[in-house]
Amino acid sequence: MTMVGTESEARVERPIRAARANGGRLWWLAVPAALIFIVFFVIPVASLFGLSFNKSVAGVIGLSSQFTLDNFIRIFTRATYYEAILRSIWVSAIVSTASLLFGYPLAYVIAKTVNPGRNTLLMIMVLSAMQLDMVIRMFGLMVLLGDNGLINGFLLYTGLVSQPLPLMYNTFGVIVGLVQITLPFMVLSLIGIIKAIHPSLEEAARALGASRIQAFFSIVLPLSMPGILAGTLLVFALSISSYVVPALMGGWKVMVLPIHIYQQIAEVGRWQFGAAIAVVLFVTSIIAVAIYHQAAIRTSGGRT
Amino acid sequence: MQEETNIPFVFKAISLISLAILLVPVGVVVLAGLNAGDYLTFPPQGLSLRWIKAFLTSSMFLSAYGVSFVVALVSTLISTTIGTMAAIYLTRSRGPFVSFLRGFFMLPIVLPGVVLGLALYVFYVTSDLGLARTMTGLLIGHVIVTCPFVIATVTAALVGFDRSLEEAARSLGASPFTAFRLVTLKVISSAISAGAIFAFIVSFGQFEVTLFLSAPDLQTLPSAMYVSMRYKFEPTAAAAGIFAIALVVLSMVVTSRLVNLKRIFER
Repeated sequence: MTMVGTESEARVERPIRAARANGGRLWWLAVPAALIFIVFFVIPVASLFGLSFNKSVAGVIGLSSQFTLDNFIRIFTRATYYEAILRSIWVSAIVSTASLLFGYPLAYVIAKTVNPGRNTLLMIMVLSAMQLDMVIRMFGLMVLLGDNGLINGFLLYTGLVSQPLPLMYNTFGVIVGLVQITLPFMVLSLIGIIKAIHPSLEEAARALGASRIQAFFSIVLPLSMPGILAGTLLVFALSISSYVVPALMGGWKVMVLPIHIYQQIAEVGRWQFGAAIAVVLFVTSIIAVAIYHQAAIRTSGGRT
Repeated sequence: MQEETNIPFVFKAISLISLAILLVPVGVVVLAGLNAGDYLTFPPQGLSLRWIKAFLTSSMFLSAYGVSFVVALVSTLISTTIGTMAAIYLTRSRGPFVSFLRGFFMLPIVLPGVVLGLALYVFYVTSDLGLARTMTGLLIGHVIVTCPFVIATVTAALVGFDRSLEEAARSLGASPFTAFRLVTLKVISSAISAGAIFAFIVSFGQFEVTLFLSAPDLQTLPSAMYVSMRYKFEPTAAAAGIFAIALVVLSMVVTSRLVNLKRIFER
């Protein structure tokens, strides 16, 4: 844009500058979305936060101006609730690890598949699985893992076991369900990063005498770290906030935070206390996302 | 090219397991919906259209399918419109406020669905807007969760858009609006369609936000399936699932023709 142009180029320059400057006057385009978000997202979430600081009275929803920390003290002193926090955290941590162990190889295969048709097919398989209604996928898992399910049916039929294995309505079932749901997110966080690692780096390591395994662990894996961090923390945030998976796969026996929220509201009617658990859940997942964001920036050297 | 041989065998083996984790439950739903017995057992009892018929005559599932379809359609129209507008502003303006706004619009993805649903329900009940357990209230919740997907998809396309094309139209005498309509909108129209399809799918499969916003006479397909699974566990839910699976797979194939999927997801 700095070159000295002919007369006709100068005439072209003016409307271009005008168009570029237009950016500042486009704010009205964001107004409808911003308004809806403020009224139906910021205000409700803020009032829910406010409600969590109100004294817990069954059946009363209205926000009052008398604030107290009672609900939070109760959460952190009653074993039922702080154990639920810890359970939520460790279940999500196991899911993140399992999702990484299953997701990394799949992402690697997709990243290294050059054939466009096969690549698109793999992507569609991952994306369709991701986009499909979670309740439907849990139905499939429940038919597989239940006491009368396909897996136990097969094992009993062939005489490999005499009692059905406890695969569902326990923590194991919840973990399997969450891995099923979060795996596509892990794979998608990894594909781009793995693809960006230049094959010549690995080849150079091999040429210098590293075994295939050495080359992988000293070159490819460290360079995949930004994607690994992004993926695991995204999976962590998704797992800790899931209600439908623990509700169906845990059969209300695995009491994680979202189940407690629903129970407090729908069964006990203690809105303030339910709101307080929701705040604890939200803050926990925000902390995870914030750490992820920082870590991702650091490991990728500012490129996100 | 010896591309495929470069992949370690262990990785290929684990990938197969991962694909099985992703796809077998979906296949099982299809089988359960088409099986002849009262419950899908091993060994299976043969195929029949019995549960498909049960779905097509079940007033609960049919009306839930209808509610889901209408909610998904209307919330997609709204969030595609306001999301595209917002995306244009976000890519054409600079400054700290714009990057704040970009993060702000992505927040509903971070907020747990149960928390958002609960927050909206409390807000509807306490504010006397008459939105609690109504179609409008449900729609608003779905607009909030689907809008980030439209904004992300359209923003990705606009960032890659070469603005000199629009400037060329301007220099040839087109008004800003005409240049935008004839050039930019044409180029990003496939991304807008993709964003709309994502929004539709997200809304159609949405359960957690709906949990507190639906009512017995206002059930979406996922909530109807959830209720049936918790209390009866009948294959009619699986038959309903087959129709939902068909819808999603079809839209994913259409989307992959419209946009480069990797550009949106591999950022």
